[in-house]
Amino acid sequence: MLVARGLLLFLICFPHPPHPLSLIPHPLKMSQSTIGIAKRSQLPTKLMTISGIIFIIMAILPLFLGSFQVSLLSKLLLFGALAVSLDLVWGFTGILSFAHGVFFTLGGYAMAYYLKLNLAAEGNTYGVDLPDFMVWNGLTELPWFIAPLKYFPLAAIAMVAVPAIFAYLIGWFIFRSKVSGVYITIITLAISSALTTFFISQQAYTGGTNGITDVSRLSIFGIDIPLNGLYWMILLFTTFVLVGSYWLTQSNFGLILRSIKENENRISYLGYDVASFKIFIWTLSAGIAGITGGLFVPLNRFISPVYLAVAFGTQVVIWVAIGGRGTLIGPVIAAILLGQIQNYAERVTQDWQLVVGILLLIVVLFIPDGLVGSVSKFFDKAKKQ
Amino acid sequence: MYAYLFPVFYLAQEAVTEETTEAFSIVALGNQLLNGISIVGILLLTGLGLAITFGVMRIINLAHGEFIMLGAYVTFLMQSTFGLDLLLTIPFSFLITAAIGALVEISIIRRLYGRPLETLLATWGLSIVLQGVIKLIFTAQLKYVKAPPYISGNLTLLRDAQGSAAIAISYYRLFIVFVAIALLALTGYLLYNTDLGRQVRAVTQNREMSKCLGINTSLVDMVTFAYGCGLAGIAGSVISSLKSVSPPMGQDYLVDAWMTVVTGGVDKLIGVLAGAFLIGEFNAGIAYLLNDPTARVIVLAAVIVLIRYKPEGLFTIQKRS
Repeated sequence: MLVARGLLLFLICFPHPPHPLSLIPHPLKMSQSTIGIAKRSQLPTKLMTISGIIFIIMAILPLFLGSFQVSLLSKLLLFGALAVSLDLVWGFTGILSFAHGVFFTLGGYAMAYYLKLNLAAEGNTYGVDLPDFMVWNGLTELPWFIAPLKYFPLAAIAMVAVPAIFAYLIGWFIFRSKVSGVYITIITLAISSALTTFFISQQAYTGGTNGITDVSRLSIFGIDIPLNGLYWMILLFTTFVLVGSYWLTQSNFGLILRSIKENENRISYLGYDVASFKIFIWTLSAGIAGITGGLFVPLNRFISPVYLAVAFGTQVVIWVAIGGRGTLIGPVIAAILLGQIQNYAERVTQDWQLVVGILLLIVVLFIPDGLVGSVSKFFDKAKKQ
Repeated sequence: MYAYLFPVFYLAQEAVTEETTEAFSIVALGNQLLNGISIVGILLLTGLGLAITFGVMRIINLAHGEFIMLGAYVTFLMQSTFGLDLLLTIPFSFLITAAIGALVEISIIRRLYGRPLETLLATWGLSIVLQGVIKLIFTAQLKYVKAPPYISGNLTLLRDAQGSAAIAISYYRLFIVFVAIALLALTGYLLYNTDLGRQVRAVTQNREMSKCLGINTSLVDMVTFAYGCGLAGIAGSVISSLKSVSPPMGQDYLVDAWMTVVTGGVDKLIGVLAGAFLIGEFNAGIAYLLNDPTARVIVLAAVIVLIRYKPEGLFTIQKRS
């Protein structure tokens, strides 16, 4: 029932660029110029050439880098995709969420169970086909809701479906009410806090505070994926997320999302079902975050409630804020740069978080558009003069 | 059958079967309810400052927990350097946190009035910064504060056959409840019976009109915010001896304080008391039936449901909008 409803929603809302939203009532048959928010642009050739060149450079980069650098770069690309998924709901629709770390981690746990169970099946020292943390906590057989994750297709589906369905339920619950933006953010904080407590308390099933550690390398249908292969998968995924988000936000659908952010009441007066749009983008974004988490685990080799906690959710918010909400490339650049800096800074100092806090304050107070947003605004001004 | 449909429910049931070995006795229930009372005291104390900054001023203050933490550190510093009694450090922590609060209002909050999401982000940034700074000064090590020796021991309500205490509550926890209620009464008096309180309420109701009537609104804002932060500081001082003092300690209290204020509703100050009482006893009751982490998860979920249906809180006057 629920899934069918979600699918229906997806079909209804799914944008078809030439004649978008033909199924959604257009009470005033307005054209874009009457909305006057943003002009719809074809993918400009210049932008395409530049992104093509960057993509090719990124693709051949691992051939010249050491495995540590490749692994770091893959993680940063994933963080970029995660930031884009938050940007879709925050930058474009105006819903600030601290729960994206939660969706990320749910996807991560799905993949971690798959990797861990396959490691257990290969034979461990305990003599049972059980992950070590379950043995330590006295489980004798695999819980029924974890057992199916042994098979890759099911794990891959769970990686997207679990966070997406969870997000759909939350969205269905909170967006169909008159709860305002700030309260929704507080709800996401509460969700993050509650799930962290829950995952830590269910030690036998989730590995408690340590999470799921020492997972195996990623292998799909018995084929081992080398690090470079994983990197290319991640690069493709991130590119796909970026291009897909660009297309989505440039379509009429994206236009409606942006108008929801600007003036929600007005859009609902025009006959749009604002809640459906919010639920759709919220679910989609959670699905993307879930895949990101799933791809993150084989690199990171563990997943733990650290990524569920509000601190990680804040990190994602900061990438988007610094990069620039409402720009797609900004969050990616911010995630890659900040992640890189963090990687070096954490070796030198224990107080990286302090720097992050100061950055957040500066961005909120002085550069509300973020770095990329400010730069593009500057160029727009220069062009007009 | 139901249990197999929902893993969460299933897990909760598992927890129950583990706990059932402990007898469902009156004594355990009584202790749990008293434990609930002490949770109520802490919730009330930590929520009160937020009832001012959020309830009266509508500032989304995510750095509230850090002001509690600052208060605790002031007490620790006073006690370790001057050997002051915990009670004597309370005025200092009120003044110092209030001063920091005033600074924060002038430098950050003032620029963001009317933009709740930005305020939320900025105060969140502030909370990270305050944690970081305290960590730089005092290191991440846990610090311990001594409770005053004359409020130690337990008040025994019921003794078992052997004559040892069966149902008891420590005097210190009673003291927390007492301080919390005293502060609530004081704040209520300030807000509803003094000129300053009238000005504060006037500014929150109609800023422009208050300006026209000659009220210095920016001064009122600063004083109110500083007072809210000062209350958080007192909470930090009083709570500091319960657990250890550490830079991230504010985070737990932040979530609890928010739950209290949101549950109670912010129209009337007394809502905080109601919210604290509900959450405290609810939490203790579920913890008695199941276990502590499950109780926390259920309470958080209940608060989310509550926000969904009544974002203005349970104890508010019905208004036409």
